[in-house]
Amino acid sequence: MVSTVQNTDVKQKDADRALVVAVTTRAVFDAAAGDVYGMGVAFPLLQSLQKVNERLLEKNPAESLLFDVVLIATDSQQQSSRIISSTSHYGLEVGRFCFSSREDLVETLVVNNVQLFLSTDRDEALQVSQKGVLSALLGRQEAPSESLRVMLCGDAIVRPDCDPVPASRGAAQSFSARLGEMRGRFGVSGSPLSIVLVTSSGGSKSCGVALQTLRSRGLSVDEAYCLAGAPRGPILSLLRPHFLLGDGVIDLED
Amino acid sequence: MVKMSLDPVQVKELNVSPSPNGDSRASWEEEEAEEEEEDRLGIATKTKPVTGRRARKVEGGVFFPKPENAVTVAVSSRVLFRTELEQRVFEQKGVEEYLRYQIEHENEPFAPGPAFPFVKALETVNARLRELYPQSEELFDIVLVTYNHAHVGIRLINTINHHNLFIERFCMTGGSSPIGYLKAWQTNLYLSADADKVREALAEGIAAATMFMTEKLTEVSESQLRVAFDGDAVLFSDESERIFKAHGLDKFFQHEQDNEDTLLDHGPLKGFLEALGKLQKKFYAKGQRLDCPIRTYLVTARSAASSGIRALKTLRAWGLEIDEALFLAGAPKGPMLEKIRPHIYFDDQMFHVEGAAEMGTVAAHVPYGVAQKHNQPQKPGARK
Repeated sequence: MVSTVQNTDVKQKDADRALVVAVTTRAVFDAAAGDVYGMGVAFPLLQSLQKVNERLLEKNPAESLLFDVVLIATDSQQQSSRIISSTSHYGLEVGRFCFSSREDLVETLVVNNVQLFLSTDRDEALQVSQKGVLSALLGRQEAPSESLRVMLCGDAIVRPDCDPVPASRGAAQSFSARLGEMRGRFGVSGSPLSIVLVTSSGGSKSCGVALQTLRSRGLSVDEAYCLAGAPRGPILSLLRPHFLLGDGVIDLED
Repeated sequence: MVKMSLDPVQVKELNVSPSPNGDSRASWEEEEAEEEEEDRLGIATKTKPVTGRRARKVEGGVFFPKPENAVTVAVSSRVLFRTELEQRVFEQKGVEEYLRYQIEHENEPFAPGPAFPFVKALETVNARLRELYPQSEELFDIVLVTYNHAHVGIRLINTINHHNLFIERFCMTGGSSPIGYLKAWQTNLYLSADADKVREALAEGIAAATMFMTEKLTEVSESQLRVAFDGDAVLFSDESERIFKAHGLDKFFQHEQDNEDTLLDHGPLKGFLEALGKLQKKFYAKGQRLDCPIRTYLVTARSAASSGIRALKTLRAWGLEIDEALFLAGAPKGPMLEKIRPHIYFDDQMFHVEGAAEMGTVAAHVPYGVAQKHNQPQKPGARK
């Protein structure tokens, strides 16, 4: 059974224009004793999303292209009341809570018009993306960063037929176009949102094609790294993305 | 001034074993081969045509060596190419205008910068290495490491293609420090126009030097890479220079004589000389000592009869060969460098770097050691 609860502490976003991002409560909160949950892996991500919204509204108080965060709980171990009260305790800008089950997860995401689903569970993320909803694994953040760092994998952009999860390709393209629009609201320096492109295989020419393709979709990239077969791990650990798009579902600890 | 060639050290018969990869290609190599195939058929990629682009010849051999096997040379965009005009736009009009300008001129390739001939020479060596050792990853790997914004990326890639450079790896950090990436790439040498970045790299144990654009450039060889090094505070530590600065020339000579059999400590560029030597031995093993496309030089103010001996003994003890050692005994380095025509010359003193540049040699400054406190550049230092 699925139930959706609106967060009355937070102003609701424009359903047509907002970028709906769903995160599992398991990723946001850590089980802890007491009434309030501990901060989980996704905390820095939520704070960064929030900061982007704040800066967007600073520029234009009537801005409708904002992140709309939905918390999804499929874990019956986490109590709905504690989830809501913990959210309020930390002042998290969450629009809605969805209390669902693992079987109903994809349906919940579709019904709520989720454009990006973030999880720490690889199987879960893969399952969702195979059903056509854009999905990504959360990166590990040791310290809060200055901006929301979104990493795009260029290989899937250059050769779409090599995309491991073709089902969510359309969703990925429309998400990156909206993200590009959002990024365009800010200048080159001091932006609360950074777009990072990484190409793993192929040479500099491939990366050039990825840059031009993204630009034609309205997404300007801030940083670009062309690895041409070099191991990804050392570079990824420096880049510290909040999440990675466009590579099916890969393990960011790779 | 005495010119001495070291006797070629007897080279042991090198058993050149096949590279760790053996004969099987890594999966990413397969992909690149496919891409080249698509490219020849004109299918996959649709980059905008750039005037003057020549087709790149695809030969056998490894093209994407693993960083730990390759000799990685990281260069910044401002030393690989000439970007003075764009720099001025940045300084006078700010970053947004600078990026707009770059995008507007995206199809105009940059002209070659001070590191360009050096990079071209590295590629020449690679071609020879691939002929002899087609499976080996012991090659030069050139990485573009710039803190430029990715908006400049397309122009940089177009420029790389236009000049037929083989640079397949890069980092455009969009403003953050590139130093972490240098370590991630296992960089053997970093060349930049920014002295602060170079100092940071040196502090992290990475060989690095600052390069400057010169108006006069003598022609350099297209078939042989020539790299020249100063001795003290470049290949060796600055310990002897400290004695000289503190106590004068006589004390310096005395100290060197007393310590003739004590090895000098290593300097920041020793590792790079070592990497060059390793590649040289691969040519010797195939009977190409006389025809070796790498040649190294020591150009030092030490004198052959006295203080030079300690330098030579140290090199020998380190197992490093240097092809020519030139002991100038204090004479100016410019004229000698003009004869040698190295693609790059490393010195810790700006006085010598400028002297070399005046005579058309591309000289790179290694901001290391005691000389940095005493020798300030005569001209304004490198712009950011």
